[in-house]
Amino acid sequence: FTTSLLLGTTMTISSNHWIMAWAGLEINTLAILPMISKSHHPRAIEAATKYFLTQATASALLLFSSMINAWQTGQWDITQLTNPTSCLILTSAIAMKLGLVPFHFWFPEVLQGAPLTTGLLLSTLMKFPPITLLYMTSPSLNPTVLTFMAILSTALGGWMGLNQTQIRKILAFSSISHLGWMTIIISYNPKLTLLNFYLYALMTTATFLTLNSTKASKLSTLMTTWTKAPALNAALLLTLLSLAGLPPLTGFLPKWLIIQELTKQDMA
Amino acid sequence: MDLSLVLNTFTLLTLTTLSTPIIFPLLSDSLKNTPSTITNTVKASFLISLIPMTIHIHSGSESLITLWEWKFIMTFKIPISLKLDFYSLTFLPIALFVSWSILQFATWYMASDPHATKFFTYLLLFLIAMLTLIVANNLFVLFIGWEGVGVMSFLLISWWHGRAEANTAALQAILYNRVGDVGLILCLAWLAYTTNTWEIQQLNSPHQTPTLPLLGLILAATGKSAQFGLHPWLPAAMEGPTPVSALLHSSTMVVAGIFLLIRTHPLLSSNQTAMTTCLCLGALSTLFAATCALTQNDIKKIIAFSTSSQLGLMMVTIGLNLPQLAFLHISTHAFFKAMLFLCSGSIIHNLNGEQDIRKMGGLQKMLPTTTSCLTIGNLALMGTPFLAGFYSKDQIIECLNTSYLNSWALILTLLATSFTAVYTIRMTVLVQTGFTRIPPLTPMNENNPAITSPITRLALGSIMAGLLITSYITPTKTPPMTMPLSIKITALVITILGIIIALELSKLTQTLILTKQTPLYNFSTSLGYFNLLTHRLTTKTLLTGGQNIASHLVDLSWYKLLGPEGLANLQLTTTKTITTLHSGLIKAYLSSFALSLLIILMSAH
Repeated sequence: FTTSLLLGTTMTISSNHWIMAWAGLEINTLAILPMISKSHHPRAIEAATKYFLTQATASALLLFSSMINAWQTGQWDITQLTNPTSCLILTSAIAMKLGLVPFHFWFPEVLQGAPLTTGLLLSTLMKFPPITLLYMTSPSLNPTVLTFMAILSTALGGWMGLNQTQIRKILAFSSISHLGWMTIIISYNPKLTLLNFYLYALMTTATFLTLNSTKASKLSTLMTTWTKAPALNAALLLTLLSLAGLPPLTGFLPKWLIIQELTKQDMA
Repeated sequence: MDLSLVLNTFTLLTLTTLSTPIIFPLLSDSLKNTPSTITNTVKASFLISLIPMTIHIHSGSESLITLWEWKFIMTFKIPISLKLDFYSLTFLPIALFVSWSILQFATWYMASDPHATKFFTYLLLFLIAMLTLIVANNLFVLFIGWEGVGVMSFLLISWWHGRAEANTAALQAILYNRVGDVGLILCLAWLAYTTNTWEIQQLNSPHQTPTLPLLGLILAATGKSAQFGLHPWLPAAMEGPTPVSALLHSSTMVVAGIFLLIRTHPLLSSNQTAMTTCLCLGALSTLFAATCALTQNDIKKIIAFSTSSQLGLMMVTIGLNLPQLAFLHISTHAFFKAMLFLCSGSIIHNLNGEQDIRKMGGLQKMLPTTTSCLTIGNLALMGTPFLAGFYSKDQIIECLNTSYLNSWALILTLLATSFTAVYTIRMTVLVQTGFTRIPPLTPMNENNPAITSPITRLALGSIMAGLLITSYITPTKTPPMTMPLSIKITALVITILGIIIALELSKLTQTLILTKQTPLYNFSTSLGYFNLLTHRLTTKTLLTGGQNIASHLVDLSWYKLLGPEGLANLQLTTTKTITTLHSGLIKAYLSSFALSLLIILMSAH
């Protein structure tokens, strides 16, 4: 299954034609579904179902937008997405795939239902193709919509994360929040989006792997992990703080650069 | 014989003689002070100081002695110099005479006190500070003396420091004086800034000086001389022993404020606002103090209020642009006020600590010397013709009447003069005449020369001083000589009117009618509500305001509502609202997706 995942991701990243991108995304979806529902737990099954439904809708919308564009402009090139309607539909589709507000409702539950390593894959690897697609089409996207969704994501991610006790849900909301940061800058300086994504992927991976080794899935469990692996717990602390974006740690870097870029665009 | 050399020598000799009881005990252990040595030192100083005064009267010579120059910064030098002119040379013997008498009295009064020597040393230190103030040539040395008398007043008022009222009174004295000192420092700063000197000779300003430093000076005088506004400390200062009250609060310290105004008179005279302020402030003080004295029952407080009233009169004189006359009143007032205090001290001690005049009476037969001198003092205070008070007080009232200044001040002052007569006669009648109201077993003895000779000496002074001083000085401003008869005898008429009223009122004590508590009576008895208002109301308001700010504003609202907790509460509400939205139903989710998509598409077109 992992191989299929990698195959799908590579296909999407290196594609130039919409059909190829769509195919890669479908392969990804199908490949990860059994990984989510590996434990045959009702929650896992429910998570898998939800994931399938949303991702399928998103892929359909993606295809739809590329078809509108093809009908209007006569070409299937990803970078030449010029029709405004199709841009909008594409934006919504990618938002659904990523988990941006207002299309984020599936994300926490899916992440909660999946086991920790799958969750890791869900939040890092699965985000990669959609972000790539956004990157490739970034010049023609509607900044207003993107900004709107991004700001809501950041805010909502923060607020929702406050009231959680399950760590996976907290991480889901943190990823929603980070995605918000990523999308807000994409119309002005897409490279920063990529930087943000890479750093976010790094930090999240570290967090997930740490949590995986101590098998902590609830906050109450997390509190007693210090007895099992004290050094690891300390490292987890730093990682989480970096995820939060505190200055001396790495997580601050993308935030700072994004804000700087936004100020130049008179928006901060 | 070079007269100026003699003048300088003898003045310096006076001052050094005074400081010997301070220095000698430090030098060797066998030279201890006793009350009598200090008294004799002051007596010797007095006799020595007569010589420079005589020289001055004879030849009009004044001198300026510069002892040392304190090079503070390069452009502003402060010479420590003494100015021996008419004011200082005349006041020096007077102050020393009065102090000598008081110290002699105190050897009897404080005989039972275990720390009598320390008391005398304090009095001596006070005297030295006061004389520094008098002979100062620049305002810096004056300020040193000013602060010195303030501090010594604090130490002396709280002599019986076991008594809580004495401590509060001393604190009051220091605080009110401090408020006045602010004014003095303001003036010093202004002078240093504009005229680059603190010398008194150089204070003449050709054009009008700005009002602010002059108001500072007047504030200083208000604090030190207990004018209305900063006056409560003077009646409260009666907590100290009687010699303290006699020395400080009748003759010397309280005139320091007026003396400052006399010295800086060239600055004041050009500014009409300052003069009017002096006039009105003085008139208000004198009337207020006289009103409060009408219903007091403590003999020392009556005398204290009369001091306050006379100080107001001196302030009025300054406001009339007559510094020399004010100085004359200072000098004559010193004599009879000190004597009044000493008589009251003798009465109090003989009555074994009783200070309430309602419990005295008929003392004429039992303490003849004291009561006769009390009568002489009271008559002098009222301005009876040809006693000491007459020369100064009557002249002040004449000048007031013939001037074209503020008539409100005039009316107040005249009213106060009649009140002076009223309370003085009341005191005399209740203390001396009538049936006796003292407890039966009170052994009284005034045969001690330590009591009688100071009092009689001061009585002599009260009678002669006015005549002597006015005969020997040349007035710098011509006093008004011609005026209608009614104005000439105004002071006299008013005083007689006051006497008649007082005699009528004093019959009340023999008719056993309880005094009704009318508002006027309450006003007078509670010192015009001033004490209550300032001491209680303002402090309570400030403190409760501070408490409210600290607890309500800072703690409750800023920290809880607006600050950290408020923020946290805000987040909590938002979080809870949003969490309920995430219900987990995929149908709801998908429908919301569709709706959002629709909205986005709609809004873009």
